[in-house]
Amino acid sequence: MIRVAAVGDVHFSDTPDGKLGQYWENLHEHADVFLLAGDLTTHGGLRQARALACELERIQVPMFSVLGNHDYHSNKNREICEILKDAGVRVLEAESESITVRDETIGIAGTSGFGGGFAGACGSAFGEPEMKAFIHHTEQLAGGLETSLNRLNTHFRVALLHYSPIKDTIAGERLEIYPFLGSYLLAEAIDRAGADLVIHGHAHHGQEKGVTAGGIPVRNVAFPMLHRPYAVYDLERSSVARRDFTRNHSVVPA
Amino acid sequence: MNADYQYLVAKIQGALADDPRVNMLDIRIMVIQNRVHLIGEVMSEERRMAATDVVSAVAPGIEVRNELRILDVSLPAEPEVIID
Repeated sequence: MIRVAAVGDVHFSDTPDGKLGQYWENLHEHADVFLLAGDLTTHGGLRQARALACELERIQVPMFSVLGNHDYHSNKNREICEILKDAGVRVLEAESESITVRDETIGIAGTSGFGGGFAGACGSAFGEPEMKAFIHHTEQLAGGLETSLNRLNTHFRVALLHYSPIKDTIAGERLEIYPFLGSYLLAEAIDRAGADLVIHGHAHHGQEKGVTAGGIPVRNVAFPMLHRPYAVYDLERSSVARRDFTRNHSVVPA
Repeated sequence: MNADYQYLVAKIQGALADDPRVNMLDIRIMVIQNRVHLIGEVMSEERRMAATDVVSAVAPGIEVRNELRILDVSLPAEPEVIID
């Protein structure tokens, strides 16, 4: 079993207030890995990233993150990644990494993702160049996510995003803004590649639990919705999956 | 709903999103007569107070009813078991 802690949308301001840090300090007692689902800062300011880094430096488990739209706002995303890296966080964008916990392995494939909407009410790469660019950006990120998931050969595979791949976990948000909250293209890519769990943030008024059309559990961990410093998911292998791990992937039909 | 109302709500929403003291995209805005109600949750008291200042600056002369609450943090919950 591998214990995954996750939270997103912590929106740090310029000074650490210890609100979340006090709980993160003991995170290693409850989890083996910590995932941050983007929107780590208020508007992508470097002081905000440093304030967050101060709180993260004390965490004793491996940390992985993606950036969210707020983290891109000041065009300092590269610098933010460096600050987080110095604090021990690996920021993933169309990349994956794996670690070993006890005798099991877990791979994290990450992308911020982007919008576009969901099947039946989504944008298409049609018309003005700006509209095509919008949808092509999502297609590109979804493709990168699929490739990075496919590269993983671990007991467990987790897709880490900021934007949502499904509608279930954004239910509660206003319908008019659904296309800005996520895209079905992300779910389609995940279902093709396979994964054991999908983590995302972004939807402050959404729901925690959902599932892709292919049956993969999706969890929205946006802090304003969770009201908790993190959620923990214990990933366990079924007996069927254990027997069949000689295959490339850990997702085995039961 | 008249046009003035819609444009005022949009103007306030844009200002709350753009202003670095707030940068919130999901504050609910209601305009009733000459009052603006701000509803939702923010991370800090500092940000809550800044929201009033931002609205006052873009809509001078309008009373601001700041009903924003500070996000509370509960203890971590029990883990959820996910079996592949």
